[in-house]
Amino acid sequence: MKSLKLLPRRIFAFLARDFRLYVSYRMQFFLRILSVLTVVTTLFFISKIFAGFTDPQFSQWRDPLGAWLTGLAVLNYFMTGFSSLANSIRQEQMQGTLESVLLTPINLPTIIVASSAWDFLETTFFSFLYLFFGRVFFGVQFRGSFLLALLFLLLTTVVLACLGILSASFAMVFKRGDPFGIFLGAGSALFSGVFFPTQLLRNYAGPTLGNISLLLPPTHGLQGIRQVLIEGHTLSQVTQPLFTLLAFLVILLPFSLWVFSRAVRRAKREGSLIQY
Amino acid sequence: MSAISIRNLSKTYPVPFRRLRAFFRRAGKDPVEALRDVSFDVETGEIFGLIGRNGAGKTTLTKIVATLVQPTTGNVSVHGHDSVADDEHVRRQVGLATAEERSFYWRLTSEQNLMFFARLHGLSDRAAKQRIKDLFARLELDEVARRRFGELSTGNKQRLAVARAMLASPPVLLLDEPTRSLDPLAAASMRELIRSLATQDPPVTILLTSHNLAEVETLCARVAIISRGSIRAIDTPRNLRDLTSESEVVHITLANSEKISFTRQHNDELLDQKIRELQSAGKTIVDVETERATLLDVLEKYEES
Repeated sequence: MKSLKLLPRRIFAFLARDFRLYVSYRMQFFLRILSVLTVVTTLFFISKIFAGFTDPQFSQWRDPLGAWLTGLAVLNYFMTGFSSLANSIRQEQMQGTLESVLLTPINLPTIIVASSAWDFLETTFFSFLYLFFGRVFFGVQFRGSFLLALLFLLLTTVVLACLGILSASFAMVFKRGDPFGIFLGAGSALFSGVFFPTQLLRNYAGPTLGNISLLLPPTHGLQGIRQVLIEGHTLSQVTQPLFTLLAFLVILLPFSLWVFSRAVRRAKREGSLIQY
Repeated sequence: MSAISIRNLSKTYPVPFRRLRAFFRRAGKDPVEALRDVSFDVETGEIFGLIGRNGAGKTTLTKIVATLVQPTTGNVSVHGHDSVADDEHVRRQVGLATAEERSFYWRLTSEQNLMFFARLHGLSDRAAKQRIKDLFARLELDEVARRRFGELSTGNKQRLAVARAMLASPPVLLLDEPTRSLDPLAAASMRELIRSLATQDPPVTILLTSHNLAEVETLCARVAIISRGSIRAIDTPRNLRDLTSESEVVHITLANSEKISFTRQHNDELLDQKIRELQSAGKTIVDVETERATLLDVLEKYEES
């Protein structure tokens, strides 16, 4: 109960720390804004090649720039959900600060939530920037309920954060980057419909490869978000991706927390918390 | 109730993925036995010294008390709370200061570093700021409060580690070589601080590990000698010295620069007798020095055995 009461203060502690560390490298912030603008501009010109060629069955891809920007903004968010905790654990191990953090009376769920807080804040800003630049400079139209889209975004991110917890457990025990990252990073871009409709994959590569996309939570998250933002669907029209994501959550959340607590216990048994 | 109670504590570091290595016929290391059946209590307000060579098991023992390492068998309790079953509670009771420089954020200032850890301890910003200010004054760190940790001298980094350990005013402090990188004056004031913590109200219990045996002898009420993972002796520094050697050499310097040296047994009356003889002979004594066994002799004796 006390831990829950102190949770906001502890999240704020991590946010303040990470903000200060972030602004100690000011140039990085401006370079990243520039890089988002460059990507959006490049995609705008590529999208002009496809003007008028969109297959009518791919209703979400009528405006390819809008679909790509949604895809990129959301992929950015998903990757943070997935990799943030593992990265911060790894970084704390390499810096040697993990022991100092674990010496304070905070519990594991607090560490999990608080360690990733800054990354989410930063990613929210940059994901928003993709949509903002698209809207302001290139006239991309977004409609539908932003609240519903946000619900999808949060849900998918939490599901991916569960995979992130598994990834962090791997980093804690093996002191290495993890195989999940490669699988999900490349996998999401290829199979989840970030850059092209998933139906195309099924049409060209057959149902076996096409069905891989169904196993990836980002596919359902992106489908839901695009249905809402691009096609203007309401809650009753997006129940299928919504329930699929909830099913992922029910399975992955308890499992990932259990694995993470085992990984910390193992590292304490081996005395390897500070090793990297 | 003891502040720290350690019972039959053993720790063997397992070899990671041993079965996997064996399966691939990869030569593996053997498990490392760091502690073997260690038991002792530290009373509230006591400064308890732990001495031993590098690799003797001091750091492992300290880390187990701090809940950072789990024991293989046995248990540690701090003010009645078990370090494994009730680790979160134990962490509220314990502050650890190590000489490990990597345990801070190098790009943050001293103040920002402490603020981060104070918030994790649950201190409100107002309370944290006041506490940090007090600690900076007490540890003479005011001048470096706004300097990045990476820019601090080794001694200041060490003092900041002690300040961090004291942030939440824990009743138990684990100090790992707290004066190692300090200049003589700073080391003296650190020793004074340690002494004052143990005598304040409520008193702080201190488990001190150090290679500076003179410091341990000056500060600690009791000392444990640890060698190859086992506790070899626990007693007051004086009793430990007496265990090593039952005699001491006495040097008496007279006013005419004449020196008289002799060996006496502990607690015999030879010294009183000599002084009486010299005084009755009309000689003036200007100095009396004794060469006793030191904790180093004690440590050497146990290492040899």
